Amino acid sequence: MTSWLALVVMLTFALAAHGDEAPRLTFAQLVDSIRANFDVTQQMKSYAGNNVEIQGFIIPAGPPDLSFFLLSRVSALGNYCCEMPTGQDETVYVFAAKGVRIVYDPLRVYRVRGVFEAGKHVDPTYGVSMFRVRDARVEVAAGAKIFRVGAPPPPPAKP
Amino acid sequence: MRYLQGRFVASALTAVSIALGVGLVIASVLLTRGVKQSFVDGTTDYNLIVGAKGSPTQLVLNVVFRMDTATPNILYRTYGYVRDDARVDVAVPVAMGDAFQGVRYVATTPAYFAAFPWRRKTFAIAAGRFFRDDVPDHPAYEAVLGADAARRTGLRVGDRFYEGEEMAEYPLTVAGILRSTGSADDQAIFFSLPSYWAMNEVARKMQIKPLTAVLIRAKRMSDLPSLHREYNVSAETQAVFPSAVLLQIFNLLTLAEDVLAMILAIVAIVVALYLFVSMYSATLERKREIATMRALGARRGTILAIVLLESVAITFLGAVLGLGVGHGIAYVGSMLLASRGGPIVNPFAVGALQPVVFGSVVIIGALAGLLPACLAYRTEVAANLAPLS
Repeated sequence: MTSWLALVVMLTFALAAHGDEAPRLTFAQLVDSIRANFDVTQQMKSYAGNNVEIQGFIIPAGPPDLSFFLLSRVSALGNYCCEMPTGQDETVYVFAAKGVRIVYDPLRVYRVRGVFEAGKHVDPTYGVSMFRVRDARVEVAAGAKIFRVGAPPPPPAKP
Repeated sequence: MRYLQGRFVASALTAVSIALGVGLVIASVLLTRGVKQSFVDGTTDYNLIVGAKGSPTQLVLNVVFRMDTATPNILYRTYGYVRDDARVDVAVPVAMGDAFQGVRYVATTPAYFAAFPWRRKTFAIAAGRFFRDDVPDHPAYEAVLGADAARRTGLRVGDRFYEGEEMAEYPLTVAGILRSTGSADDQAIFFSLPSYWAMNEVARKMQIKPLTAVLIRAKRMSDLPSLHREYNVSAETQAVFPSAVLLQIFNLLTLAEDVLAMILAIVAIVVALYLFVSMYSATLERKREIATMRALGARRGTILAIVLLESVAITFLGAVLGLGVGHGIAYVGSMLLASRGGPIVNPFAVGALQPVVFGSVVIIGALAGLLPACLAYRTEVAANLAPLS
């Protein structure tokens, strides 16, 4: 009985640890990785196809079911503060897994986890993009920090 | 069945109360989900709407869903700025007008109906043709009617119409009727901007013509935040993400749904208690009858099964009736919403809801009958077959 309990506890911890394994990418890292002709650094390419975590503000540029949205370093609502959003390099195109269930708040930071893609891609519906997260799960990032361009990035994430 | 027939009135009333409870749950969920789904299905494919300063909700509800009153005007030159912006793929000007028999006038350009690879919604003509792309000096006064608009007004291709005596000089001619799109565009009368400006006394005198809004599709989605910010910091305009407004509305709907869920939970408890009390009192009344059955050879297990079956049968009948009642209430609710220009709701949507509610109710019925069944199971023959006097 005790061994069964121990196994269940170990499995639970292992699953929880597996869920937290995705390395976190910041917008500063994304910006730094961009090279000429829509290319990105090898290090950024090494994340492609793997699960990553990115935190940012949701900009609902797609349908209201949030099956597609933009994740941005800057909130879409702050009209009279912060700097202007810059565009391609600081925007991640997020294709959500079915059934995103969040309370949308334009002023909250959300944590997005999913399969990362880097480099130029042209989607028939949403056009050209540099960074994408597919099959994404979304949740509120409590106490999250958004790293600004030029600010020291967090410790390097392991691909 | 004979056992049920013995208490027909009480059993029928219990089944009816279960049916009303189930009906309330089904109708509430169908209508709230339907309203949300209607907004999702009927929303625009454009990413951004630029209009006058004011309420973003009013701008989206009016321009996309033809609800609420129109926001104040912006000037036509705003459309020019947007159209000439290198970041913009498609810009469509829209001017919201009055109404004919309650159906809203929407002035726009033929681009409103154009097909694009990114567009989910397609416009097709069911009869006639689209209105001509006329010029301000020679307005054509041609109109294209949405499918519901044509049905409601009874207008056909070639008919001329106007509402209000000041419009008698500018009757519109029906050039075409659209196929149904399943959106608010079905409930609109479309015509050209030059016709709109010529029909409006104030607009006729204006050097720079008015608009209500400009619908924008950006070349790159990543340019939307900067476009949004630029038109918002302007002193004259606001820019709105339609989905952002709808998500804020959904947040409010979720609050209402939570309150409704609590009320429905209380209704379910009341119905379950009613069923329990009904079954319990029936068992008490029938102690002598049960004792007789036992004396005639019925096993305790048989008695338990009979009472449980009675409870399940009443719940089953109530649940079946409730499904019909629920869809009936949802139908009436959807008709009321549609008649008031509200969202279009499918009252007969079938999904996981019906089997989940049905199964839950039958299980609750079985649980409510469990204690009375146990009471019947423990009925003593000798004590309950004593002479009544």
